[in-house]
Amino acid sequence: MRRNQGCHPHEHLLARRRLLASTAAGAVGLGVLGTQAQAKQLQRQEKRILQVFLQGGVSQLESWDPKPGTLHGGPFQAIPTSVPGIHISELLPNIAQRMHLLSIVRSINIKINDHEQGRQFMEKGRRVGQYPYVGAVASKYLTPADSELPGYVHVSSRGLRDTAGGAAFLGARHGQLKLEGIQPPGNLAVPEGLDPVADSNRDQLRLQFNQRFVERRSKALTEAYDASFHQATKLMGRKAMFEGEAAERDLDRYGRHDFGRYCLLARTLLENGAACVKVTHHGYDSHAENFNFHLEQLGEFDKPFCMLLDDLKARGMLESTLVVIYSEFGRTPKVNVRYGRDHWGSAWSIALGGCGIQPGAVIGKTNDTGTAVADREVDAGHLFHTYLQAVGVDSTADHDIPGRSIPIGDPSTEAIGELLA
Amino acid sequence: MKSEQNAEPAVAAGLDAKQTHQVAAFKYELPLTTLRVDPTARFAAAGAEDLDVQLWDLDSGTRRTLKGHPSWVRSIDFSPDGNRLYTACWGGVINVWDTSSDQTTPVSSIHAHQGAARCVRVSPDGKRLATCGNDLLVKVWNLDDGELLHTFSGHPRHVYGVDFHPANNHLVSQDLMGGVNVWDLGTGKHKQSVDASVMTGYDNKFAADMGGARDLTFRADGTQWASAGITNVTNSFAGIQVPIIVLFDWETGKEIKQLKSADDNLKGIAWGVRYHPAGFVIGAIADRTGKGELWFYRPDEEKAFHTLKLKSAARGLDLLSDNQRLAVAHADGHLRLYRMTADSAAADEPDATG
Repeated sequence: MRRNQGCHPHEHLLARRRLLASTAAGAVGLGVLGTQAQAKQLQRQEKRILQVFLQGGVSQLESWDPKPGTLHGGPFQAIPTSVPGIHISELLPNIAQRMHLLSIVRSINIKINDHEQGRQFMEKGRRVGQYPYVGAVASKYLTPADSELPGYVHVSSRGLRDTAGGAAFLGARHGQLKLEGIQPPGNLAVPEGLDPVADSNRDQLRLQFNQRFVERRSKALTEAYDASFHQATKLMGRKAMFEGEAAERDLDRYGRHDFGRYCLLARTLLENGAACVKVTHHGYDSHAENFNFHLEQLGEFDKPFCMLLDDLKARGMLESTLVVIYSEFGRTPKVNVRYGRDHWGSAWSIALGGCGIQPGAVIGKTNDTGTAVADREVDAGHLFHTYLQAVGVDSTADHDIPGRSIPIGDPSTEAIGELLA
Repeated sequence: MKSEQNAEPAVAAGLDAKQTHQVAAFKYELPLTTLRVDPTARFAAAGAEDLDVQLWDLDSGTRRTLKGHPSWVRSIDFSPDGNRLYTACWGGVINVWDTSSDQTTPVSSIHAHQGAARCVRVSPDGKRLATCGNDLLVKVWNLDDGELLHTFSGHPRHVYGVDFHPANNHLVSQDLMGGVNVWDLGTGKHKQSVDASVMTGYDNKFAADMGGARDLTFRADGTQWASAGITNVTNSFAGIQVPIIVLFDWETGKEIKQLKSADDNLKGIAWGVRYHPAGFVIGAIADRTGKGELWFYRPDEEKAFHTLKLKSAARGLDLLSDNQRLAVAHADGHLRLYRMTADSAAADEPDATG
């Protein structure tokens, strides 16, 4: 449902804050209680999100929206897929065979050509403001109560870094746990020389300090610390998950390069209760040699991603896992003098599938030369609503934040209804 | 100019590379990707950022468009008599064209490689064709009947360039990582590996390799070959690497010399290299800014003896049979002819700019 079409989302938010300040919490309490109930129900359903972020801006013309033989089409050909009538770039032959599991949105216009701004918009569904990333929202509402893992884990090792963590007002425990590739998080082992009794005594002392602290200050602060501590303790108990070499059979299938191993780790994390796992594949910012680099990068991406997709399906997890392949923007149709394509947020594509998504669909289209959206224009706000609604989160509701009422998705946009299953 | 004084008679008259200047320009509406001039200097053929081949008659300036590739054309060669044109495209297809007729469709077509066919070269006797590509293979074909004579495997990464030795029945090929293989066409076996790893680089930030022979050619006497490409990769996604031409000794397989721009700040790619019979080497460069350079280098000297600044990036180079003119494919869509003589010596070239 579209809300608040006549005003800026921030104005809407401020109005809600003023309302909270001047009235009893009961007026908005229904929304909060509704969200809490929804969260509990969702947590039982164990839905999750896999984000594969192609950092730098993958070219839509070399991936999801090929236009061979046209003015800006580039040298690569389009190939048929497992869905009659849908063609994608020849650089994605393995995905082409699994297109019936995915859908494509070809009509994204975010009106942003800056890496950081584009990425923030794609993560938050809002152009400006301190809002949580979709992964943090998933962590809050989808993480099972008994999960042994943080809700939002990001596997990456190079390129642009996200220092914010993405939790915003949801609290640090819903921010990204950033893994440096397949390296385990630091300090998972109990310090040498600290026996279990001493460790337990130390924890008791910490809890006593907490109790004294909370008597004079906000409970929310100690809850956040406690949650982090609890999460770290659980993670220490799962240290083995990050250790040891992957099985040879898996490495044969996924590949022995970094991205293959990241995908294998993503599979493990999803299997063990992470609500959102983001895997970043770097190297798509091809201002020069766009075609050779896309050949290299998508050649590395295509197969391991498909192995992960296959494994999710084989384990019966795909119908409860939303899979999203995205970037911060696309690339210019016009090829520059270095055989490069530059930043382009005006007409580009993503692919998604799995939980809650109608498979084998193409939403929207660009014009014949790929320079503009020709039908069903959407932006990152629409995508944000779509992702969350696909996993059962009512993105039109408000966040469950004590004392505040903040819409989960941008009220000025809505989900891409025809994409939802 | 010591080397020019020893040059063959065909190149002696008026040759002065330092006075190289543009004498003709042939315009196409899209950026060109590569070119070749036929050995009789009647035709120049170029690929562009589309599916066609443009064939210019250099005397009249008229252009024919040859249609039949599924992808951009990235390498071209002619038969010794100029009547056959061979083109290789990103789609892995090699097309054969008859330049002696008005036919604008291929005479024959071979799907030679899975993925891009990056280079095509005709043997000196005109009887065989060498191709290489992204399937990591080098192939040799009989031009009489299209039979596949050899399939050479062993390159671990995409094979970018290939050329026949002019006299002794061998072939040289170079891949993305600077691995060079010498193949014996008599035995059909690998003969030698040569290290050209200076011509590749790993971009740490973006985690990708860049390199390869963007052009590869033998000196007419077979004592050397030259490879054009890049070195010193720092940010290849922005085109920040150093263009380089490396000369190799045929007997030893060792690197003889690295040729680079006189301008230390120039970043880009060397897309063309030719040996001039007068003894110097010519390089064609695409500057990342969109401009270009032609280098004129004597192999025994440290610096280029002349650099001609080009208004548009060079993406292909050939030497015409008069040994006085150069043809350059430019990123601005022009095929330009440059003459290596004093300006007054050229007044009768066509200009098809309009």
